[in-house]
Amino acid sequence: MGAPHRDPSSARLVVGVDIGNSTTEACLADLAPDGSVAYLGAGLTRTTGVKGTPDNTAGALRVIRDVLAQAGRRPDEVHTVLLNEATPVISGLAMETITETIITESTMIGHNPTTPGGQGLAVGTTVSIADLAGQSPGDPVVCVVPVEWDFDDVARVVNAAVARGVAVVAAVLAGDDAVLVTNRLDRPVPVVDEVRAVEKVPLGMLAAVEVAAPGRTIRTLSDSYGLASVFGLNPEQTRAVSPVARALTGNRSAVVVRTPSGDVTDRRIPVGELVLRGAGKELRIDVDAGAEAIMATIARLQPLDDVHGEPGTHVGGMLAQVRDTMADVLHDADGSAQPPAEIAIRDVLAVDTFVPAEVRGGLAGEVALENAVALAAMVRTSRSRMQLVADQVSTQLGAWAEIGGVEGEMAVGGALTTPGVDRPVAVLDLGGGSTDAALLTRDGVCTAVHVAGAGELVTKLIDSELALGDREVAEGVKWHPLAKVESFFHLRHEDGTVQFFDQPFPPHVFARVVVLTPDGPVPVETRHGLDHVRRVRRAAKSRVFVVNAVRALRQVAPGADLRALDFVVLLGGSALDFEIPELIADELAPYGIVCGTGNVLGTQGPRTAVATGLVRAHAAASSCPAG
Amino acid sequence: MTDAAQRPTVLVHRAPAAPAAVLREVCAGAEEEGVPTDVVDVPGGPADAVGLAHAAARGSQLEVGVGVDAAGTVAVHHGKLPAHRPATTTGPDAGPQDWRRTGRTAARIVKGLPLG
Repeated sequence: MGAPHRDPSSARLVVGVDIGNSTTEACLADLAPDGSVAYLGAGLTRTTGVKGTPDNTAGALRVIRDVLAQAGRRPDEVHTVLLNEATPVISGLAMETITETIITESTMIGHNPTTPGGQGLAVGTTVSIADLAGQSPGDPVVCVVPVEWDFDDVARVVNAAVARGVAVVAAVLAGDDAVLVTNRLDRPVPVVDEVRAVEKVPLGMLAAVEVAAPGRTIRTLSDSYGLASVFGLNPEQTRAVSPVARALTGNRSAVVVRTPSGDVTDRRIPVGELVLRGAGKELRIDVDAGAEAIMATIARLQPLDDVHGEPGTHVGGMLAQVRDTMADVLHDADGSAQPPAEIAIRDVLAVDTFVPAEVRGGLAGEVALENAVALAAMVRTSRSRMQLVADQVSTQLGAWAEIGGVEGEMAVGGALTTPGVDRPVAVLDLGGGSTDAALLTRDGVCTAVHVAGAGELVTKLIDSELALGDREVAEGVKWHPLAKVESFFHLRHEDGTVQFFDQPFPPHVFARVVVLTPDGPVPVETRHGLDHVRRVRRAAKSRVFVVNAVRALRQVAPGADLRALDFVVLLGGSALDFEIPELIADELAPYGIVCGTGNVLGTQGPRTAVATGLVRAHAAASSCPAG
Repeated sequence: MTDAAQRPTVLVHRAPAAPAAVLREVCAGAEEEGVPTDVVDVPGGPADAVGLAHAAARGSQLEVGVGVDAAGTVAVHHGKLPAHRPATTTGPDAGPQDWRRTGRTAARIVKGLPLG
């Protein structure tokens, strides 16, 4: 390349540039002839285009010009631009529920209307309120009320029937009127409301209605023997209704209707087998066995060559979907088509999770927590086109540009500029798609690994476990601490401290669990309390990053022994997270490891490690004649 | 001051011509949440729902008030909110469901529940 040749005795201006999935970072330095390095500044900008594609040039040029401007230097002074060789992995995600709750023949209504009426347990035959006037006195009756009925009319009709001697012992309403109706009854009874599909409640059947006192949960209908006592069931029938009892646990109100063949089934969906190849062996593991069993199998097959799902099963579909996505990304990345079948999956992280799903056959939008398995998969790609980016940068900037080194090794070099760090050092780069580890021994030997699963999987777990259905909100929950707005003027942080505000909160955040973004509190649309949301968030981070930190470090540690490691430096976007570094440090502390967040050059935090490493490596190489 | 103003209730201030159907749903919304209301006639006071609601909130032991104006517009207010920033108001095409919702909103401010 036609870079201007400069006097080798003077200092040379170099820029290290690290193009990542989301940010492009740069480090500017003067290299003296004796190999000493004077760092002049660092900066970052958003990556333009898919990592490893020519589109990256624009972002790279922008960040180079930014750091030059900050340092008061001109582009024509630049001697060399050093680019990273991209991490050769792309990752994908899939999730599948493995259990399903189905209510047949509308036997059960178990939901938590915010305001049921009355309290207690009552058993009677279901009768529509329209037929109540014709009901003769005698056996107890559970009154079923469609949506169009007004609360005053319901109370009047029920009171009239009771006056005639009809024993109305409970009511099931479509609307949100339970308290209003109960307040107007001459003889209050338990009332369950907000049963949206009330017309599907079978009539003329024996039904039990239970409403617990405020602050309590139902005791009889959520107990197998309680159901057996209420309906006079034999042991065989009791076994059959035990899923009903379990499904109702924790509710404040419930209705159970005894129909001849109605049932609640809690079935396991056959998900299929994972077929894993590696270390010259092939093993099969049923996804039903759970994440722990899957991960144990993967550990026996290191290094993994490929993973397939049994064709025609859910897991087959999951992995096919991951392959298709990756084929698309690779296509975008290098413009050439690679058939999905040729993409080898080199690592998988399986995580047990749960998904709140609306119960099939439910009448009141009942939600059951179904078990699910999430899989993060990773493929290798050798087709980075970083050299093309280097050529374009060189042409447009008028300076020599070259590939300065492989990401993992460069990251270690950058991490070594963190105060208090020495060899042997391992870095953990906590990214979006993969978690990467690299180890630099005392002798200067560097090994790097990549494992599947990182920030994207955390977001996905938070999104599905809280049933948010919105990736942006889930990202917010992941990144920011929680608080509960307690009045129009104060909120309680998740650590219990209270903060006053002199401007009132908008009504849409009143009394809500919120995430504290830099733009103000944003509500999390969930019926769960702050503690639950916090638990889900921390568990998601732990199941991905703590698990992967240990997995990746074992792969680089001498003899797979974590005790052989001294210093571990956390890098990457997720190292900026407000709790992931401490979760990992807590896990590693028993092994005698010093673990903390990187502070590159003592000023840059966990950012620009690779860019700084590129500059260091270049300085070391050019000061040593042997190369 | 009447006795009604002394006990802890959501105060509902209504203009003389306020429709009875609106008032019924507002009170039902609060009752379903288990919070009592007191209705006060305000002859010749501020005519708009927001002004009525703010005055009601200032007078309520619970600092929560509802205003119903002659046109049937409903506003819900909290005594510590700025006068021109009510917690909620009904739109021009409001129906029984919306009136019920305002009563529920008033009660939920008292109970510290999301207004939804």
